[in-house]
Amino acid sequence: MTRAIVTHDLVKIYPRRDRPWWRPAGPRRVAAPAVAGLRLTIPAGQVTGLLGLNGAGKTTTIRMLSTLLRPTSGSATVDGLDLVRDAREIRRRINMIAGGERMTYARLTGRENLWYFGQLYDVPRARLKARIGELLALVGLEHAADQRVEQYSKGMRQRLSIARGLINEPAYLLLDEPTLGLDAPIARDLRAVVAELARGGVGVLLTSHYLAEVEQLCARVHVIAAGRLVAQGTPAELTALTERRHTVEITLAAPAPAADQAVQALSVRTGAQVTAARDDELRPRYTVRHRHDLAGELATAVVAAGGAIVRLEVTPPTLEDAVLALADAARRPEAVPA
Amino acid sequence: MRHALRVVAAEALKQHRRSFGGPLVVFSMLIWPVLQLAITYYTMLPVLDTPGIAERWPLAAQPSRLLAFLAAGAFAYLFYFSLVQSAWNFAFERISGTMELLFLSPASRLALVFANGTGALVQNTWLAGCFAVAAAGAGGALHVAHPGMYAVAALALIIPAIVWGAFLNSLMLFSRDSTFLYTLLDDPLWFVSGVRLPLFAMPLAIKAIGLAFPLTSSLAVLRGALLDAQPLTSLLEPLALLAALCTLLLAATATLLRLGETRAQRTGSMQLY
Repeated sequence: MTRAIVTHDLVKIYPRRDRPWWRPAGPRRVAAPAVAGLRLTIPAGQVTGLLGLNGAGKTTTIRMLSTLLRPTSGSATVDGLDLVRDAREIRRRINMIAGGERMTYARLTGRENLWYFGQLYDVPRARLKARIGELLALVGLEHAADQRVEQYSKGMRQRLSIARGLINEPAYLLLDEPTLGLDAPIARDLRAVVAELARGGVGVLLTSHYLAEVEQLCARVHVIAAGRLVAQGTPAELTALTERRHTVEITLAAPAPAADQAVQALSVRTGAQVTAARDDELRPRYTVRHRHDLAGELATAVVAAGGAIVRLEVTPPTLEDAVLALADAARRPEAVPA
Repeated sequence: MRHALRVVAAEALKQHRRSFGGPLVVFSMLIWPVLQLAITYYTMLPVLDTPGIAERWPLAAQPSRLLAFLAAGAFAYLFYFSLVQSAWNFAFERISGTMELLFLSPASRLALVFANGTGALVQNTWLAGCFAVAAAGAGGALHVAHPGMYAVAALALIIPAIVWGAFLNSLMLFSRDSTFLYTLLDDPLWFVSGVRLPLFAMPLAIKAIGLAFPLTSSLAVLRGALLDAQPLTSLLEPLALLAALCTLLLAATATLLRLGETRAQRTGSMQLY
């Protein structure tokens, strides 16, 4: 059996109470599904991204996989264990870390918080003390281990929350915006921890609004919109999936008709969109947009035509462009991403 | 069972840190029940001048025994009400965002609510308990038929109180609108359970309501065993009622927890506050 979290047509519809309890009669409005037939695979030993706009169903999916929510229909397994039937065993194997700092007890010290959750997860006594020490060191809270959490800064609380999520040495870690509100150095450290965990065999599902984080960490990314899977692949594959284009801006030292002809010829040959303009110093500037990065070809053509390049800038399409395009396409079913 | 005991230890530490931070709290743990007792005693004193009261209630003619009667009532009430407070505090886990973490863990839900009740009981009553034992011993108020009756009285107080606490925890944990129970189970519980007045002085309807609360039978056993030197055979009726109530409450707790968690998983209400 392959070690993975696998979902099959997962659906979650929140029941809605749109009438007061004393007026139960009459037709009910049908609630829109928060998650609608999701099929995901989150393998062990790699970071899988789950992206989408607000309300896409990311948090609902993570909460279902963490057993806090029950699917309305469909099913999911964790290493072959059923999400509903074997919930207790699954809880031993997973943990969840959400952004924000509300997930610890403020009046307990950092060490006591970890001890408390270690007891709840039945971490072997002989292991627990060492585990707490390791985790405090991992998140850089050794110096504040015996300080009450209410005296911690926001970043320290979030780091403790991360340590809490690792107390049971989970086989799968569900991360819901884990770096939300964290300073850049702490977020960078957390990314390093996540990458290390994945290398050690932990399966990680990550949602994040910081797409650079997703690009850096995730081997595969699932993009969802309105609770449905709209695309999946590596970050590079997803980026290439959209209509967004590479933008190459090239500025020449002086006007050169031959170079201008070379740029136009490239445009005709590749179908690239070319815009010619002048910069503040009245030097010719060309902006070339194409699905592929034409910087090399463009520079070669210009130089071969006798042009002198003073500036060359390439802006590739980003994963953010891809997610936005896919979400837009999901809203407009007729618009299919290229 | 071993895991459940670890959950109890964890909850005890959490409650100790969350609710018993300073020396003033320790002070209040003693002063509050003593104040309650003093208020009750001096409220009762004018009533004792009622002509003929001693014929209906012989204790009224013996102030020291009356004080012991009221002290036993206040002490037992402290046990039960500390669990109402604990359940009320437990419901705040929803607001502080930590309730989900409890349900994210593999810890038995029944163990969690029992652990919370046990932790609260120990934290709230140890000082008053020590004081009560010392005062009763020194004041010569204890009249026991057999030394084993101390154990009977202790068990009849502690076990139903813990079960009662677990039941309240399960009730308040999943409902955002049940904090009214905190008010409902304060003075009314005091009244219907015979804490201040003997149950026979109550109207039949109040008696019936009172018998539905385990505090009433716990008090009957406590007073009978420790103050009136009653043997075990005389206390079989309230003990049987306690056993029945505990079984019922235990079943209700398990059912409420299962239904509550299933409902919260269905509606997503665990994160609402």
